[in-house]
Amino acid sequence: MDIIRAQGLTVGYGEEPVLRDLTFEIPKGRITAVVGVSGSGKSTLLKTLAGLLPPLAGGFAFDGRAVDYRSEASLRFLYGKIGVLYQGGALLNGLSLFENVALPIRMQYPRMPQDMVRSMALASLAQVELAESADKFPSELSGGMAKRGALARALVLDPDVVFCDEPSSGLDPITSSLLDDLLLRLKATFRMTLVVVTHELRSIERVADRVLLIGDGGFRFAGEYAEMVASPDPFIRTFLLRKDSHDDA
Amino acid sequence: MSETILLPKRLRAPEVAAFLAELRGRGDEPSLILDFGQVEEFDSSTLALLHYARAGCAGLTVTNLGGALARAAESFVRRVPDRAPAPGPSRALLDRALIGVADRFLSQVRKLGRFLAMFGDEVYHLGGYLKDRRGVYPGETWNQLFFMGYRSFPIVCLLLFLVGVTIAISSAEQLKVFGANIYIADLIGYAMLRELVPLMTGVILAGKVGAAITAELASMTVLEEVDALKTMGVVPEKFLMVPRLIAITLAVPLLVALADVVGISGGILVARVTFNISPVAFVTEMMTSVDWTDFAWGLIKTVVFGWAVVVGAGFKGLTVGRSAEEVGRATTESVVLSVTLIVLIDCVFAFFLY
Repeated sequence: MDIIRAQGLTVGYGEEPVLRDLTFEIPKGRITAVVGVSGSGKSTLLKTLAGLLPPLAGGFAFDGRAVDYRSEASLRFLYGKIGVLYQGGALLNGLSLFENVALPIRMQYPRMPQDMVRSMALASLAQVELAESADKFPSELSGGMAKRGALARALVLDPDVVFCDEPSSGLDPITSSLLDDLLLRLKATFRMTLVVVTHELRSIERVADRVLLIGDGGFRFAGEYAEMVASPDPFIRTFLLRKDSHDDA
Repeated sequence: MSETILLPKRLRAPEVAAFLAELRGRGDEPSLILDFGQVEEFDSSTLALLHYARAGCAGLTVTNLGGALARAAESFVRRVPDRAPAPGPSRALLDRALIGVADRFLSQVRKLGRFLAMFGDEVYHLGGYLKDRRGVYPGETWNQLFFMGYRSFPIVCLLLFLVGVTIAISSAEQLKVFGANIYIADLIGYAMLRELVPLMTGVILAGKVGAAITAELASMTVLEEVDALKTMGVVPEKFLMVPRLIAITLAVPLLVALADVVGISGGILVARVTFNISPVAFVTEMMTSVDWTDFAWGLIKTVVFGWAVVVGAGFKGLTVGRSAEEVGRATTESVVLSVTLIVLIDCVFAFFLY
């Protein structure tokens, strides 16, 4: 069962396409890694799937419903079903970690009792092992804590899909590995669908059930990680060996 | 006949620069062969020289390229494009100038359209919030009220007091010539209530509040916090702007009332010192030429200025690009936009009120 189905999707900024004519599916309850070299358009694709950047052509359906960027109701539906972990965390600096995590609840359910808001936010923070730091402000958190805090915020309303934009960027290998563990735990515990944009090979190998490899303005590979590793495609070989892709371009 | 030049063992930037200077000194000599056989120490300027020679410039030819330099050349020099990008279609200077002016004009018209659309959106969001009390963070309005009102109060009072003193001093000389000393009270009262307090308060708000709003919202945009709000199902234009609009609407009357009192006090002080006019006489005379409508119009004008500042600053903050550099630029532009809007709106008010 696929939760996202894209057909002929072209994404980009202004009138400049970055990725053209993409047709793909994101399976439910699995971790899909969108990978590629820096500047290949991974984050642009994620922005489009998260309802932030209208596609230049084509479109996609979320949970069987076509997403129409011109319709506020359609975007509201999408936003109600997703959580996004941004590259820098994007926690609101003026609010404490607890208030950041409680914000989506307060905005979506303004009449929810405060006790309930509190327990939901603390439960989400506990999932990422940050309940003890609930009163801290984002400026007082380390990079890894800010990422986990942002993940708690993304998870607090139990979204169907969590998009993670470069979750390991700027983190040391140990923190990065702990974050990978957390993603795997979320998938196993809640059967959550995760779309992880990354170029960290170790992270892809550990967490990804499925890989979408971007290159030259489109997908160069779509399938299981093991298949990608076995592929003789020179572009994939270069990517896996961390060589400069321009050598093959 | 070609001359061969044996390049030295160390061929870094100083040696390359010296060599190129020597080459220029030779003028239009027949072609030269550059022998790189001895070169062991090199840097990026050596690679640039290689590229220069390989591109066929100045009739240079390369020979004896080997070892580490050959590998570096293979890795870097071959990637440098040999030719500049093809030029666009050539146009006459006048054509280019006219197209530039037209593009700029259309871009400004588009921005104006977006600004007016945002103004309309904000009115809609404010109405929506007052109706259902949703979509705004609880307590944020009080934070903004504290910042816009309490934090702006000292600077507004100080500047308006000084403006009152300055206007009184500069008018006193002229009034003395005509023996019209007492009319300093009318002049100060009218000028302060109707024009100077609204205008100066608006300009101070543009510099202090407007710049802060733009810097904050622009940083939030750059750091993806605005995107995060969107994907949480929050409307950023409502969440971020409505508390600020409510706060400015509540803060301005207090600021204007205080600024009126303080500004007129400056005039009273000068009148006392210069003409020995008592404060009671000053206020009594002033009340013959101004009434509560002057205060009310001043207040209404300042509230409108405050709205222009907040919406202008929000517009600049939320439409910023994605680089940190643009935050600074947007903040500067926000102050310019706010002050321009204030003067423009003041002109419109003057047209209808006088």
